[in-house]
Amino acid sequence: MIMKTDEQDSNPSFVLRAIKDVAFEDRAVPKLRDEHDVRIHIAQTGICGSDVHYWQRGRIGDFILNSPIVLGHESSGTVVEVGSAVKNVKVGQRVAVEPGVPCRFCGYCRSGQYNLCNDTIFAATPPWDGTLSKYYIVASDYTYPIPDHMNMEEGALVEPVAVAVQITKVADLRANQTVVVFGCGPIGVLCQAVAKAYGASRVIGVDAVQSRLDFASSFGADDVFLPPKPESGVDPIEHAERVAALLKEKFNLGEGPDVVLECTGAEPCIQTGVFVTKKGGTYVQAGMGKEVVAFPITTACIRALNIKGSIRYTTGCYPAAVDLVASGKIDVKRLITNRFKFEEAEQAFELVKAGKQDVFKVVIEGVQ
Amino acid sequence: MGQENLSFVLEKTGVVKFEDRPVPKLASDYDVLVNVKFTGICGSDVHYWQHGAIGSFIVKAPMVLGHESSGIITAVGDKVSTVKVGDRVAMEPGIPCRRCIRCKDGKYNLCVDMRFAATPPIDGTLAKYYTLPEDFCYKLPESVSLEEGALMEPLAVGVHITRQANIQPGQSVVVFGSGPVGLLCCAVAKAYGANKIVAVDINKERLDFAKSYAATDIVVSQRESAADSAARIIKDCDLGHGADVAIDASGAEPCIQAGIHVLRTGGTYVQAGMGKSDITFPIGAMGAKELNVKGSFRYSSGDYRTSVDLVTSGRVSVKELISNKVKFLDAETAFNDVKAAKGIKVLIEGVEDSA
Repeated sequence: MIMKTDEQDSNPSFVLRAIKDVAFEDRAVPKLRDEHDVRIHIAQTGICGSDVHYWQRGRIGDFILNSPIVLGHESSGTVVEVGSAVKNVKVGQRVAVEPGVPCRFCGYCRSGQYNLCNDTIFAATPPWDGTLSKYYIVASDYTYPIPDHMNMEEGALVEPVAVAVQITKVADLRANQTVVVFGCGPIGVLCQAVAKAYGASRVIGVDAVQSRLDFASSFGADDVFLPPKPESGVDPIEHAERVAALLKEKFNLGEGPDVVLECTGAEPCIQTGVFVTKKGGTYVQAGMGKEVVAFPITTACIRALNIKGSIRYTTGCYPAAVDLVASGKIDVKRLITNRFKFEEAEQAFELVKAGKQDVFKVVIEGVQ
Repeated sequence: MGQENLSFVLEKTGVVKFEDRPVPKLASDYDVLVNVKFTGICGSDVHYWQHGAIGSFIVKAPMVLGHESSGIITAVGDKVSTVKVGDRVAMEPGIPCRRCIRCKDGKYNLCVDMRFAATPPIDGTLAKYYTLPEDFCYKLPESVSLEEGALMEPLAVGVHITRQANIQPGQSVVVFGSGPVGLLCCAVAKAYGANKIVAVDINKERLDFAKSYAATDIVVSQRESAADSAARIIKDCDLGHGADVAIDASGAEPCIQAGIHVLRTGGTYVQAGMGKSDITFPIGAMGAKELNVKGSFRYSSGDYRTSVDLVTSGRVSVKELISNKVKFLDAETAFNDVKAAKGIKVLIEGVEDSA
């Protein structure tokens, strides 16, 4: 069953044509590629820093914008068409969409690390189109039904929650551990909330902006910390060591927290994060900033730290994220500060780019 | 006979026959067509032949037998990029769905929709041709023969068991059962750096072979309690407080019980052998010694690749396990030999090209 015939229907899309050049285009209604695909009528889409980065800079690492792409990847929607082999969803079902579908054939896919697949089709990572269209085609096993009491905005926020779930999975977070999270942006506060939900005994959020710390306090963090600014002329490494010592002292962290989640990508935070982690503890890099930083490697070695990177999500993250939202353990609605209609997409992006303190998560409604 | 795709078929329990079937078509652009050259026989093949079922897998319609094969690629789908026509390959016979949670979590051997050759209702590899996705074909280097290629399947079973057992260099391992799987577990444990590898069996001839092959110690099973058996193994083989790892590749209840008793506290037990479905199990000892008890089933990501690497580098040798080779048309003889426990591994050659 299909809602409208192709002749009547269209597929308005928000396209990044070239760096800093976005436009609305009317594209063809996409077709199912095989019997496992579904077509989603997109309902809500959140904006991520990566979307803004492609718009402004046209590249992230090896992913370079060479041809126009539809933007957006944090979406929810309603299933409007299903392939003949689809079993997990039906037409009319409301779903959260996992935007990266791997090849399923390579060593990474077969060994349970599909987030590392080189041939992943990832929405809004060049050259693949994203979800800011009326319709989006995706393999059915990358769609997750959401319960009736979860609205579509919450469905769209499942994506960053899944990122936070993966970060805690990589950290191998255990109940009763202490956790310091650098960064109280959406990912930072979601990591704090997931860590709490997963039984961490103490979660401390760190940020340079007081209003963000205030929000984190009310969200998932037990405590928050505003690091002092370095005095002029002080070596940044010395300052980072001092801040780490202050953190441990202020919150009675003993030799340091069991786990540090770095969700800023900012060099001073990375350095402080390494200095603050307890011996034998785990440091996870989730934030992306400068590609190359001055890293306290001897400290990492002597203290036998486990240092890991975290990217996107793996098996089980999306279902866990849906459950965290559906059960009320994480109230993602509180992260949304601004809402836009589809036709206002460019304003939405401009708002995120402006980086104002009172703007947190911005969502764009789908085409009606 | 048309001789397009001569196949060895289990018609019903106890009855096998040769049948010419159509050459299979490639199901997707990522599939390849393999001309099967050698096929080893497994206890499961014999079991389906004799009993028509293993657990809930019941032979309800005629089914081609065989799953331990190697061959030469004769055709490739349009999107195949990792192998080409003419490549000699080891064939991994179980194709998972790639979409379920188990598959995406890296444990495709546990896929709920697994299609496994010669597990009903999926046809096996004892035919002239077989199709497989390209990522389930493993290219053999020139130095590895197609006969050895057919041993990659049981070797992959041994690799998977060893990984489940998490054998670390310097550890001691007791392997119950010196059939092909047990022997290969000994070989892989040795390659992985185990210090002491004890083979246990009722058959002295098999044990002597095990000692010449990969085991450091051998023990003949006797009629005694499992606890006594374990104590004797520990004493005779200098296992100190007990072995680090015990692997059961026999399925025999007394061996399973002895396996639990032969372990030190905190040791690991892996169940690989299949015998009675329900047994009397020393659960008290398992709990009090805080043992890790795991099952092992077939193989998953990386096991076949590891097997090819182990044989290529010479860290594991499989040639010695090949007792006999028979022509395709003598396949039933081979099945009878395996049923009579003659030799270690019997290979059935591929269908000969008609003159």
